[in-house]
Amino acid sequence: MRKVWISRLTAQKMIEVQNLTKQYGNFTAVNGITFEAQAGEIVGLLGPNGAGKTTTMRMLTGFMPPTSGTAKIAGFDIFDDSMEVRKRVGYLPERVPIYPDMTVRGYVDFWARLRGVKNSKSQVTQVLERVHLLDRQKTLVRNLSKGMRQRLGLAQALVHDPEVIILDEPTIGIDPQQVIEVRDSVRELGKKHTILFSTHILSEAEQVCDRVVIINKGQIIAEGTPANLRQKLQRGNSLYVQIVGANLAQATDMLSGVAGFESLTAQGEGYILRTRNSNDVRGQIAERVVQSGYRLVELRPVAMTLEDIFLDLVGRE
Amino acid sequence: MAGTSIIFRREVYQYFTTPVSYFIAAGFLLLTGLYFNGDVAYSITRKAINPALIPDFMATLMILFGPLLTMRMLAEEEREGTLELLLTAPASDAAIVIGKYLAAWFYYTLLLALTFSYQLIVVQISQPDLSHTFCAYIGIWLYGGATLAIGILFSSLTENQVVAAFMSLATLVFLYLGDIAGQIVANLDLARVIRQLSILGHYSTSFSYGLVRAEDVAYFAGIIVIMLFIAIRVVESHRWR
Repeated sequence: MRKVWISRLTAQKMIEVQNLTKQYGNFTAVNGITFEAQAGEIVGLLGPNGAGKTTTMRMLTGFMPPTSGTAKIAGFDIFDDSMEVRKRVGYLPERVPIYPDMTVRGYVDFWARLRGVKNSKSQVTQVLERVHLLDRQKTLVRNLSKGMRQRLGLAQALVHDPEVIILDEPTIGIDPQQVIEVRDSVRELGKKHTILFSTHILSEAEQVCDRVVIINKGQIIAEGTPANLRQKLQRGNSLYVQIVGANLAQATDMLSGVAGFESLTAQGEGYILRTRNSNDVRGQIAERVVQSGYRLVELRPVAMTLEDIFLDLVGRE
Repeated sequence: MAGTSIIFRREVYQYFTTPVSYFIAAGFLLLTGLYFNGDVAYSITRKAINPALIPDFMATLMILFGPLLTMRMLAEEEREGTLELLLTAPASDAAIVIGKYLAAWFYYTLLLALTFSYQLIVVQISQPDLSHTFCAYIGIWLYGGATLAIGILFSSLTENQVVAAFMSLATLVFLYLGDIAGQIVANLDLARVIRQLSILGHYSTSFSYGLVRAEDVAYFAGIIVIMLFIAIRVVESHRWR
């Protein structure tokens, strides 16, 4: 009774992570991270390889206990109520775990039963249909292509209709068409489930996630919606300027007087001008170029992508 | 122990759907069949048939087949990454190991049951002491259970099936030869201790003669419990690595 009550009370927060730390000997893989995910939210865990994404996910799935800190899934503590957590989490590890000698149906059915699904037959049929593997249900898992295996892994994570789905780099190593399919299904799943999704590809996080948590060397370095993050971290403007007949030194000479000038770098046939604040300096630029006797052929703002922000953040550490 | 029966069923299914286990069964029947045939031919002219003939031979055979039947069980899970998924499923570590162990023992029991066909032939041509045979079968059933428990333990220690098989084979040979070592030691007390530890001694001095002794049953049960306990701890240790 008590557990049910707690679960309902905090039903809004499906994932609650507080000061979670994991140390392997002297090496700290995850260093005191704190974040949460609301019901029905798709949260992206973004970071370079070795940032601590997998370790974080392994702790949340009940695979390994944290060194310190706590985390709750659907109101259940990952350490004290591990079994309750495991019933509520669907997990797809980075390398899809398979039993090569089982049939597709047998494989999904096994995980359904192990996780206590009552009407496993209809549930398995439903989930196989959802990942478009129903026509392959009698195929041996060893004969599936990589993309199909990925979908099979997804089926396994969904079959017990978990409240929280944890996907560790689900788009790695499959072809672009399948990447799009996986992203679409993640977005689709986000309507019903809470999803924690790790990736090291920024555009992916930007496309799929409601909220992004950027993690590097075991620490959270930024957090927010993709749009929010871009706004918060984008300091100043970037403009693309193309001037006929001016080399980098001449152009720098010309434009260094622009208000808030930060840097000028060559790109393609023109230059990228960065400013420290977000004032519109296009008028000033045009004026200076013309006054110096050169011809301005192109001038447009460049939106800073998350990619730039990310590299900037990670590089700063 | 939720999950034990589900793991058990998957493993039994695995035994019946992989060609390897059929090869193992075929090899097993070929070897026991040849041995049986030789002994029957011999007993027609020279001596009475040994009622514990097949179980006695299996005491040697299981040193090889115990590792073969179990080498895959946990090593493959680790290699394929399914262990990570098993450890995040709502099943205890003990349920995983015990479910697998019981499946191996079940398959072994089926192999053992196949050798009853030899006993049918013996009954047709002779009048063996069937209670003697029955005792020997109980003994070899427990003995085989112990070799499988040792095999499971080594399968949990590595992700390489060949290494697992080799390590359990080496351990079993060591336990098996302990009996011979006991026979050549002059000091009687020391010899007794060595023989008490060896796996063959607990079969060849009692069950093989149609005796069921509590101490031998306790020995095999003890081996099984201790080996499975360590295997469960080894599986659990994946969470801390």
